[in-house]
Amino acid sequence: MSSACNCLAGGTKTLRVAPALRVPVQTSAHRAFASSHSPKPATSLRTVARNGTQCASKANSNAARRINGVQEQMRSFSSSTSRQKLKTIEQVRARNKGGPFNVAAALLFLATAGGLYIYFTQEKERMARKRIAEQTKGVGKPKVGGPFELVDHNGHKFTSDDLLGKYTLVYFGFTHCPDICPDELDKMALMYDKVVAQCGDCLVPIMITCDPARDTPAVLKEYLVEFHPRIIGLTGDYEAIKDTCKAYRVYFSTPSHVKPGQDYLVDHSIYFYLMDPEGDFVEAIGRNFTADQAAKVISDHVKDWEGPLKKKDRWAD
Amino acid sequence: MGWSPFGSSDDSGPRKTSGGAFEKPSRTNRAKCYEARDAFFECLDRNNILDSINSKAGRAATASACGKADQEFEKNCAHSWVEYFKKQRVVNYQKEQTIKKIEAEGGEIIAPQLPLKK
Repeated sequence: MSSACNCLAGGTKTLRVAPALRVPVQTSAHRAFASSHSPKPATSLRTVARNGTQCASKANSNAARRINGVQEQMRSFSSSTSRQKLKTIEQVRARNKGGPFNVAAALLFLATAGGLYIYFTQEKERMARKRIAEQTKGVGKPKVGGPFELVDHNGHKFTSDDLLGKYTLVYFGFTHCPDICPDELDKMALMYDKVVAQCGDCLVPIMITCDPARDTPAVLKEYLVEFHPRIIGLTGDYEAIKDTCKAYRVYFSTPSHVKPGQDYLVDHSIYFYLMDPEGDFVEAIGRNFTADQAAKVISDHVKDWEGPLKKKDRWAD
Repeated sequence: MGWSPFGSSDDSGPRKTSGGAFEKPSRTNRAKCYEARDAFFECLDRNNILDSINSKAGRAATASACGKADQEFEKNCAHSWVEYFKKQRVVNYQKEQTIKKIEAEGGEIIAPQLPLKK
């Protein structure tokens, strides 16, 4: 009986560590132990301390079953609880030397933390992009961009309606541009290839000239094919270009009347304008973006569009 | 004469209009122009000349020290480009100096951002 009780006591210590769920069981086991050993508490407690660990696992499995039996036989008051408590704390300490941490818990914690971090980072980026897209999306008349009627590099009529259904990357430039426009158009070609590699045929690259007097469709065609065969060059008469520039909030300084052969430069805004498939302005991409960064910005917007807005039918053609 | 748009009469450079602009601003023409520009700027660097266009003294110093490079530059580029690059050289230098000055004072250069509304 004694040995069994010691084991039981060991079990009690084990149970004590366990959470509040087991409290009723633990209390009854206590009573059982206390009552059977009350005459010689000191020695028996030492034994308990020794045997406790050995018996712990055995007691653990048997405790519940045994307790029921013991509980029925012995139910008496005990005065040795305080000393027993002290012992218990020491044992609890010994057992929980490492605290509540173990390898599995650590891995679980790290995995959860990592997962949450990634999720929130992505969600934050997505929300920021959404904010930019919504903030710049016009309610009614768009703030940037708008209807235009120009001529493409093949001499065909090209209007803003031809842009609907796909994202558009609009750049304003001129073929006699010394250094910035060629650099930016090279970048545009890289951006276009990268976006297409990621999102398929979802983007139309467009260059609108600010210098219609010199940039005829033929000149544009010859000029742009050196950058990318897919870039569409748009020109028109001075008034049409002026109106388009105004719609896109583009500053340009082309003189309205130039003599043939006159040599001049055009000062103009150098942003790429990303327009969504409905023709609304999404974001302006400046020179500080590398081709990779710009391609990422565009691809992310394109992916956002496909997802939440569900306008896939627009992509049919 | 060095930087007159009509200074060169030989046909070795890219074809230009009567006003001195490129007839075709193609990639090869641009590359030749950049090459001539870099050679010219190298000469200016060697002779410690920053401004070759805005001041009379600068123009005179350029003509005596880098006259030949200047002619080549003029021949290979549209005239408007030559002026643009010469002015850009000065502006770029001033920009670098300003950035250095701000950084030396411990300030930070912050790229301009689009204003974000709520």
